[in-house]
Amino acid sequence: MSQSLRPYLQAVRSSLTAALCLSNFASQTAERHNVPEVEARTSPEVLLTPLTIARNENERVLIEPSINSIRISIKIKQADEIEHILVHKFTRFLTQRAESFFILRRKPIKGYDISFLITNFHTEEMLKHKLVDFIIQFMEEVDKEISEMKLFLNARARFVAESFLTPFD
Amino acid sequence: MSIIREHTQTTLSDAWRTIDIDALDPDSAPNFDTSTLHPPQPEITEAEVRQLTTQVRQLLRGGDAEGALRGCLDMPVYNGSDGVKEMAMGLVVEVLQSIKASEMVPVLRGVGEGVGGGERVDVLMKYLYKGMAAASSSSGASSAPRTPTRVTPQQTGFSQMGPRPGASAESTGAAMSVLLSWHEKAVEVAGLGCIGRVMTDWRKV
Repeated sequence: MSQSLRPYLQAVRSSLTAALCLSNFASQTAERHNVPEVEARTSPEVLLTPLTIARNENERVLIEPSINSIRISIKIKQADEIEHILVHKFTRFLTQRAESFFILRRKPIKGYDISFLITNFHTEEMLKHKLVDFIIQFMEEVDKEISEMKLFLNARARFVAESFLTPFD
Repeated sequence: MSIIREHTQTTLSDAWRTIDIDALDPDSAPNFDTSTLHPPQPEITEAEVRQLTTQVRQLLRGGDAEGALRGCLDMPVYNGSDGVKEMAMGLVVEVLQSIKASEMVPVLRGVGEGVGGGERVDVLMKYLYKGMAAASSSSGASSAPRTPTRVTPQQTGFSQMGPRPGASAESTGAAMSVLLSWHEKAVEVAGLGCIGRVMTDWRKV
């Protein structure tokens, strides 16, 4: 892990641990409904101050806490157009399978690449520190994955170009 | 004349179904008055922040980094115009950047001691989060045109030559790493509670 990545992930970890303090809270507007307040936004008093943690201008995390749910949005590093396409494909692959991911949001919020929504029901049946570990591990792996994919893509493109051009040699 | 006959095509449409009636009811949950959640704060003017800036810079020149940090954290701008808040934010970042990495923990411990010490660390945490949010959103607007219209040979990723596209992010990255390391030290000194208090406090810097 590089030196500048460590304090970034550490800040995300401590902020997430502090924010994951959720309790059951039924909707105040619709009777017998129980919705994530951070999504419904019907009661301003149960929404807490959103926290932004940024490593540089194109790598940041937004944590929006509320009484019964938190939303975590991640902007993945994209140094060039290729990485932009790869990140888009990768997050699309994941969000299409959001059903089996439990905490993944189907659509990222504006300005970010991928969002997670953790409600009090998730923290009741899953371990809090494991959830935090999962997010941190995801952030670590996704950078590695994207740069690996980029290397593969370049190697493949070179190979294709070579074999395509051999008949004309 | 019956009521039915007064309906026209427009009144029979179902546009009324989309009206958010909760927004019109002063007693509904979405219209909760959040100003009751925190006491009114005294307004801080630009002149006061200017005065504080000169005092803090004097302390910094004198080598009293702890006193400088304590000074700007004792007067958080909870109530003021955006310009004043920016000035105060800039002052805090200036002080933070002038303190060496090895002195962070002793300075933080010093700031956290005495009357209102815990409060000062909470205020520092608020400024740290605000600093990261401000820097990423202001530059986020400039880096927004990530559209295919901007495709140039350097940016396809195949070429190893030319300037790196993220090179302009270096300066903000350096400022950010200062904030991140202060964040880490503040959590070390004051615990996770200070993050919780930043989230729940309605007084925003």
